[in-house]
Order: sequence, then C-alpha cells, then structure tokens
Amino acid sequence: MNKQIPTLLIRLWRSLWATLRHAWVKRETVPYPEIKRSLPGRWRGRIVLTRDPDGEERCVACYLCSAVCPVDCIHLQAAQLDNGRRYPETFRIDFSRCIFCGFCEEACPTLAIQLTPDFEMCEQSHGELVYEKKQLLIEDQGKHPGYNFYRHAGIAIPGKAIGGGVSDTPPVDHDTNLP
Amino acid sequence: MGTMHIDGHEIPFQENDNILKAALAANIEIPYFCYHAALGSLGACRLCAVEIAPEDPNKKPRVVMSCLEPAKDGINVSVSAAAARQVRQTVIEFLMVNHPHDCPVCDEGGECRLQDMTVACGPPYRRYRGRKRTFTNQYLGPLVHHEMNRCITCYRCTRFYQDYALGDDLGAMRLRNEVYFGRFQEGPLTSPFAGNVIEVCPTGVFTDAVFRQHFARVWDLETAPSICPHCSVGCNTLPGARDGTLRRVCNRFHPEINRWFICDRGRYGHQYSEHPDRPLTAQVSGVKVSYREALAAAAEQIKAARDRTGGLGSTREDLESNAILQTLLNKLSGRFATFSDPQLETATTAAVAALQSSGGAPSLSEIEQADAALVVGDLTTHAPMMDLALRQAYRTGAKLAILHSGPSLLTRFAATTLTVAPHEIGAHLLHLNEQAATASTTSNKHENEKKLADIATYLTTAQRPILIGVSETMAAPEITALAQLANALGSRARLAYALPGANAYGTALLTPTNSTTAMLEAIESGQIQTLIVMGNDPLGDTRLGARWREARQCLSTFIVSDCVATATAEAADILLPVAAWTERGGTFVNYEGRAQGFAPVFQRAEPLPNTAEVLADLAHCLELALPDAAAVLSNIFPGYQAPLPGTLGSSLSAFPLTMQTETPIGSAPLGHPGHWQVTLASWYGDDVLASYAPALVELAPPAAALIHPTAALKERIEDKEQVRLRGPAGTVVLSVQLNNDVAADTIALARVTLAQLGVGHGDLLELERIS
Repeated sequence: MNKQIPTLLIRLWRSLWATLRHAWVKRETVPYPEIKRSLPGRWRGRIVLTRDPDGEERCVACYLCSAVCPVDCIHLQAAQLDNGRRYPETFRIDFSRCIFCGFCEEACPTLAIQLTPDFEMCEQSHGELVYEKKQLLIEDQGKHPGYNFYRHAGIAIPGKAIGGGVSDTPPVDHDTNLP
Repeated sequence: MGTMHIDGHEIPFQENDNILKAALAANIEIPYFCYHAALGSLGACRLCAVEIAPEDPNKKPRVVMSCLEPAKDGINVSVSAAAARQVRQTVIEFLMVNHPHDCPVCDEGGECRLQDMTVACGPPYRRYRGRKRTFTNQYLGPLVHHEMNRCITCYRCTRFYQDYALGDDLGAMRLRNEVYFGRFQEGPLTSPFAGNVIEVCPTGVFTDAVFRQHFARVWDLETAPSICPHCSVGCNTLPGARDGTLRRVCNRFHPEINRWFICDRGRYGHQYSEHPDRPLTAQVSGVKVSYREALAAAAEQIKAARDRTGGLGSTREDLESNAILQTLLNKLSGRFATFSDPQLETATTAAVAALQSSGGAPSLSEIEQADAALVVGDLTTHAPMMDLALRQAYRTGAKLAILHSGPSLLTRFAATTLTVAPHEIGAHLLHLNEQAATASTTSNKHENEKKLADIATYLTTAQRPILIGVSETMAAPEITALAQLANALGSRARLAYALPGANAYGTALLTPTNSTTAMLEAIESGQIQTLIVMGNDPLGDTRLGARWREARQCLSTFIVSDCVATATAEAADILLPVAAWTERGGTFVNYEGRAQGFAPVFQRAEPLPNTAEVLADLAHCLELALPDAAAVLSNIFPGYQAPLPGTLGSSLSAFPLTMQTETPIGSAPLGHPGHWQVTLASWYGDDVLASYAPALVELAPPAAALIHPTAALKERIEDKEQVRLRGPAGTVVLSVQLNNDVAADTIALARVTLAQLGVGHGDLLELERIS
C-alpha cells in the first residue's frame, strides 16, 4: 500500500497541472447559438431536393431513396408531365424518423437528393417534422453543379429529342433497310 | 426420360427437353433472356451458355447455348465453368453498349430481367466509352408504352405477338445492330392480347402505359392472388396496389387456365375501381349518408315490405353474395332472381345444365390440344382467352369452323366460316346434327350446305373435337342443339360455353327456374315493393332496360349495391357501395365449373364492405339469424369447401340442373320490308366493369351500324350513309359501315346502341334511310 502512494501523488499532480495549464489556452467551445461553427461540406444534415443546371427538378421519382431508406422515412408518388419528364407528385420525408445515414443520397441516380450541413430542425411536434416537397425542393444545384440526368438518359424531353443525349448517335431510320 | 449432371446435381429430363428447360424445371438457374416456356427456344440472346464436358477426355469441353442443346443421358453440364461465365459476361457487356442510362425513369426497373442478369453475370463497370445507337419510339395506343432504345433483341415480343397470339401489326424491322420492333406505322396495337408484350419483354421496351400514369415500383406494390372478374374464363391474376389505390393487374400462372398470359380486358379493365364516378359513399334518396344510416334505412323498408321484398343477384357477384342473398330472401319469404333478362337466364342455365351432363368443359390447356373446333358466336369478345387457346390449336393444325352472325376476330383463322342471321343459327346447328349423324357427302347442295358438310367432316374425323358456344348470343334451344351435337360426336368431343359473367356458372346453379320473368311480373303487379339489387344492372339491360325502368316506378324502395356507377346504381333510392373485386375476397365459378377463391389485395383509405358483409349487416339490422357464407354454401352444394386463393381451384359439385330438351328451335321471323335482325357487335373490352376503364374504352370501335355489302346494295344503302334505327325503346341515328362478316338481313350494333334501342341479340329492328 505504502509503495503506491508516491505514484498516486504524481498522477494527481499531473492532472492538476493539466487543468491549470488549460485554464490559459484558447477556448474551443463556442457560445451556440450566438456563434455557429461552420460544418464540413459533407456533413449529413437536413435533406434537400436540388435542381439541374436548367433550373428543373432533378428528382425523377425512381423510388430508390425510399427503397434504400433503412427507417422508411421517405414516401413519394411518381407522376409525369406530358412532355416525358418524370417528377415526384408528392415527396415526403419524416425527419422525426430520419437517422441521417445518407443512404438516400448514395442511392440517388440523378444527384437530386442531398444531405446538407444543417441540423437545426427543432419542432414542437412530430407532425411538423414531416417535410413536404415544397420544404425540400431548393432553387439550387447543391453540391454537384453541372449534372443533368436527362442529358445522359435515352428518353426524350423538351429540348432533347431521342438521339440528342451527350453520348448518343442520331436515331436510326427504321423505315428503310439500307445499311 | 433420362438424367444428366449439372454442376454435380443429377437432373432428370423428359424427352425432347433442352438443357435449359430441364434445368429450370429442377430449379437450377441458368441465366437467359429469349427463352420462354410458351414461346420456346430461339438462341437469339446467347446468354444461356453452359459448358459440356466431352466424353473423350482428350477433347476440349464445348460451350453451348443450353436452350438449343438437347438434354442427353449422362452428359456433364457446367453452368459455373469459367468459359461459360466469360461468354455470359461478354454478352451482357455487349448488350450494355447501347443500352440507355434509363433505369431511374424506366418502369421495368425492379422487375427487369436485364438488370437482374447484369448484376448476376455482367461486368460491374462499363468499359465502352463510345456513342450509343438510338431509336425513335412509336405511339402504340393507350395501353402499351414503347421505348425502343432499351431493346436487347430477344425477339420475345414478336414471337408472342405474331407467332403465339397471331397478331399482324407488330414486327421486326431493319437489320444488324439496328433491329427495330414496332408497327409499320404508328397506331394502337390491334391484338386483344397486346398487353402481354409488357410481361414477355425482359427489359423496358414495352411498359404498361396505364400503370405509368400512377407509377409505383414493384417492391412497393401490395399483391394477393386474385381472379379476373371480366369474363367467365376465370384467369388468375396478380393485382398490385399501393397507398389504397389499385395500380396494375398482372398475370398469375395457372397451369390449366391462363398459364403465362391474360387478355387486355383483364389487364386494363381494373381501372373501373379508380373511376372518378365510382360510388364510395352510401346514399339515401341522393343524399350522402353513413353506411350505418343507409343500412338502417334499407332495413326499415325491408321490414315494412317483408315478403314483398325481391332480391336480384348477379352473374358478376361472387358465389357467397348470391347464396347469402338467396338465403336472406328465403328467410323473408321474398323472391330471388339473378338475371335481368329471361332469355339470358334460360340460355345460361341451359348451358350450365349441358356442361354438367357433358362431363365438364375442357380447360384452356385442353382447348389448345383440340384438332377441330366449332365456335358458335363471337368468342373473342366474350371469352378472349378461350380465343387465344383456340389460336394455339389453330397453330398446331386444328380446323376451326365458325358459325356466327356478326363480326368476329377468329374468322381470320377459320377453315370454314358460316355467316348466318341470328335466327338461323339454330336451324344450322340442327342440320349439322343431321350431317354429323349421317355423314352424307352431298355435293350438289347450296353453298351453306356444303360448308355444313365440311364442318361435319372436320368434327367427325377429328380425334379431339371441341364445340364452343357463346351463351349470351344463343337462345336455350340453340345451346341444347350444340350439346346434342357434342353428344352425337361421342365421348371424344368436348363442349364449352362462354358464359355471361365471371360467376355465371355459380349463379346459374342458384337461379330458380324462370325467376326473371316471375320477378318482373311480380314487380309490375305490385307484389314486390322493395327490390334489392346486388351488382346487377337491370335498368341498363339491352333488351329489357326500358321495361325494368318502368317496373322501377312501381317499386316503393329500390336498394342497390354495386362498385360501379351503372344506370341502376344511379336510379337507386338507397345506394350501398361495395368493395371492388381487388378489395375483397370471395369465390368465382368459371365456365368449367371450377370454383376459384380470391383474396383481398388491399384496403382503400376508407374501406368498403363486400356484398356478403352488406347482406350480413342487413340481416343483423332486420334481426334475422343468417348463417355465414361457408354454412350457406355447404347447405346448397354438398361437401362444399371454400377454395383457397392461390390454389388451382376445385370443381364445384352441384345437383344437376334440369336440361330443357323439349324447346323447339325458333323459326326465322318473316322478313318485313325495312325489318332487320339485330346481332351484337361486341369488342374485346366490352364488359360492364371494363366499360368504366378509360384507357381501354379509348380503343372501343366507334358506334356504327354494320351491314353486309350485299344487303346494303339490295336496300340501296351506301357506306357511311346516315340511317335511322327504330327499336321499342328509342331511335338512334348511326352511320352505316359495310362489313363482310355480318350476315344477310342482319345489322350488327354495339351493346350501347342495343340498350338505347331496347333490343337484344336476335330481335327485330326497323331501319330507315335519312334522305
């Protein structure tokens, strides 16, 4: 027992010294919410739906986000415009269930759904945490500027006929048998 | 017939099996695209490569296409061999060269064979960085959406459409890597089975244009085994629903009935359940009330009327509802009927009686085996899948004979077509009976006589002749005459009737003799004050609609329960909306007498009761002790056990109906000048429920008066001329269309027109020229 006393005293002195030393260093703690720390760009916070470079909705309502979601917090219903563009008629995320895992963002083939560095989503009730499409859709391309899914897809939309995609050849004339 | 080895497993195979077929039967997976159990092997996709070990160990193993290589006893096959895997990977990589980046916007995604096979055997990444070949798409009508860029040239679509369903407006065009599948010119696909190309296509070239409007991925769909309610064949279906709405209907495999396919009426007719006019709230005198209030109002009226209550079941209501309605009416000492037209009642009961005494109708797979067939009436529009089965028989060389009075799609494949006026059908059948009995070879006769002799020859010389009648357009004596013909041909001949309604067989078994006439007379004489109509549309009946509308005025209370807004539902005092077929469970008895159960697929946001539940609730309000459906049915049918949904169904053992053999064949009415016989010109989407399906109805032919050119010439009527038709219930002005498939002195009209005029098939009609 007696042999341990010096060791214990040294340890005690070391921790007291560390505390004393830290009393004079620069503080890391910020008085939130008066001061807000900047978060990394890849922070997985509030989910948004972005737009393509033409200002149109990127989401084509493929249902992959809702399929991959481990807590089933995404609900959507697909619809399509007469011109061939597909979009979600309703898009609903229940943030009271969301675990911000980012699977939806990884699954999204059109880079539409993105997680943003924002976590300030306090509400008084669960119901208010269910975000509808108008709360999710932003007027911006988010973190992947320049990507337009329809430029790469095979289907026709206004401004891009069949064969007008970035890696397409002009359509075959199937009415002739000439090579 | 032998055994081979696949990757160490012993696999038995039958004679003439190929390796792929035998492997699939033994649940061994070999990837493939173009092989289809119904369409056979083609070797177009080159995906089903397997390696066969040589018998001589000094030789190298061979990589072969398993769908083209016959299974041989003792061979050693390897699916997992490196060489076979390499072939499959290369095939997929080449297919992906031109495949568009479409999966997120493609409706096939999730049930796409190309996706599955690419994940299973393809390279994980795309190496090709060049440009993709593209195709323009065609408008193929409101049912099928075309996206040709996604094609992998497996030829399944044309093999189904042209070779299997014998359609002629979808084919392959161009050459090399630019093969195009489509129509010669844009336009709706004309085949009644066009929707099946959606299911046979392994990728998203053909997708469901109706489902597309309200799309959900396959993993989100709620499904349950169901039975198609649109005709008496009873095809097995797999409806898919989401969020309380029905989205689509797919085929469900049944080895004896529909197998891999269903017709477009079955696939697209389901939209009635999402029709904006569908009654979803109970009404009393046009005012929306709660279900309980409506029930209480109905019970009060029935209590007041007591034995002056009548109940009208329906051929499209399930077995349980009809049986419970009958029991309820028995308890009230009221009157029970099931048909809105006495002629249809006698015809259907005669048909069922004939089927009972003939030892059962052939299943569709048995019809496919026929080597001669006589069809009376327009089969395609009354039982489309029976038509598809006959087309298979035709493909294997069966002689088809058609005795009809109006247009029919089957006439294209007929060896002999006999087009006679509705009233002469019976006489011709009797002639045929005589011909079959004597087998006389008279050569100096009238043209029709010669044709009859031909038909008799086909039937008497055939090993497996089949006789099919369309009971809706036949009178009871004609049905009996056809049954007698089947009798005369002996036990090798099989008899079938296309009945009016999904549960017509089951309903006929419950129908009291001459109940429709008795019901109508009782209402008109005031003996019945309150009428309960379950899923029937007497006020919209073609022949007797006007009489029913008048009879309705004699009623003090008119209680209707239905899932579509028919004329009857709109005229109801008390309307009790019920669940649509996909929202409830029950039992249908198909044309063979096969009872098949179906399960509820989904519930609406505000669930509706089914008809049997409405009746049980009604009995409860009336303080009547009503046994449950199982007890009621086991009372009526000895040893009855409710068939489980998803099983093959069980044949319904019932007491035989009395067959009306003594009724004479009606002679042709005297031809008045200006009088024409009416025949029903139906089309494959023509059904009470399907008529509320907007996309399908878009394809309905425009209303016209179809007349044979010779008859038109005789009456000096020209093509496209406007004529006035005068029937007992009204007048209709229509334009004339000349059609070679209509009998002389006969005018073929759509069902809607018949209802407006108040005439039925075989009735007389006055035609006036407007000049």
